[in-house]
Amino acid sequence: METIVCSKVCKQYGTKQVLKEIDLTLEKGKIYGLIGRNGAGKTTLLSILSSQNPLSSGTVTWNGEAIWENQHALNHICFSRELSPNLIGNNGNNMKIKEYLNIASYYYPNWDKKMAQDLVEKFELNIKQKISKLSKGMLSMVTIIVALASKADFTFLDEPVAGLDIVIREYFYKRLLEEYMETGRTFVISTHIIEEASDLFEEVIVIKKGELLLKENTQELLSRAFRISGLSEVVDQMTNGYKKYHEEQIGRRKSVTIFLKGKEELPKEYDVTIQPLNLQSIFISLCGMEE
Amino acid sequence: MNGILTQEKSIYLQISEMIETDILRDILLEEERVPSTNELAKIYAINPATAAKGINVLVDSGILYKKRGIGMFVAAGAKEQILKRRKEAFYNDFIKKLLHEAASIGLDKEQVIQMIRLGEEKQSSKRREG
Repeated sequence: METIVCSKVCKQYGTKQVLKEIDLTLEKGKIYGLIGRNGAGKTTLLSILSSQNPLSSGTVTWNGEAIWENQHALNHICFSRELSPNLIGNNGNNMKIKEYLNIASYYYPNWDKKMAQDLVEKFELNIKQKISKLSKGMLSMVTIIVALASKADFTFLDEPVAGLDIVIREYFYKRLLEEYMETGRTFVISTHIIEEASDLFEEVIVIKKGELLLKENTQELLSRAFRISGLSEVVDQMTNGYKKYHEEQIGRRKSVTIFLKGKEELPKEYDVTIQPLNLQSIFISLCGMEE
Repeated sequence: MNGILTQEKSIYLQISEMIETDILRDILLEEERVPSTNELAKIYAINPATAAKGINVLVDSGILYKKRGIGMFVAAGAKEQILKRRKEAFYNDFIKKLLHEAASIGLDKEQVIQMIRLGEEKQSSKRREG
């Protein structure tokens, strides 16, 4: 099976360690959600997985071939970076949407021109407009167009829905699913709007402060996370032996998040309130601020 | 298909329950094709693997069956089977919880039975006004 394998990847900017020994395998034909707080290393990871950024140590391979400066491998990988009005070109970018898409069409060998045109129409973009004049939402639309039309087997999107209104976000999710079901391409999508995208993700990858915290089937993760609340002592008895996350105590009442392992079942004999958690709440439990 | 997906139950169970409910309401008839995994994925904007899991639950329990190359179909007798299973689940899902809640707020058996009668009367008078 086609894979991208990342092994012991570290990245350092000066003295700052941004990624720490990341081991990760991406399989063909899955939609992955990549979540982490601001500065956790999501963008750095995606740029390393697509060879847009050199790693400090470790290896990244596509089907066993190192991807660094390997055009054959990179033909299968697309990282549609978040655009900013002044990132590209020489001071104050004068490139038009049309020109930007044109460059992308040369860069990706399987570029789907018809799809790009169709998306431009759906998003009601004026291709004669300059990138520097686009709103945040319009910049996201351009990155989405590049990602989908690239037709790359492995496509990474960095916060594709930032600044988009809910109608366009929903349209994007459906369009992405459609493309995925037709082609079986792999998508890795980083997002901060976790809840509305969580059902798209077959697997979720969580990174925290440059470390890979977990990579798991989304439904399985959801089925083993619970928030237990009740009388403090009872909650303690019941959750004894579990690692506790996101503990909150108000008077005699305590709430805590636990994760069951494998096929374990929750102990039943305690008088507590048990709530299943959604992905967003799980993320807060794992990566929330410590008080 | 109707209803919205919530967060209280896993998505795949919600998918299978929704199909069951559609069968009970004659929205989907026996020996009729049900929406495919991809159709469900698109309608609800969920991963097709999750939609497939929801369908498979129903295949495993004999509610749906697969016609090779065509799709999933509602099995004969599916409606009866769903009704039977839902009745069994009624005790676990509703009665047990009802009794537990009643006990925790100090309602005794007689009071609970009285409330059930009251609810029944209200429902039938509403039906008469219909």
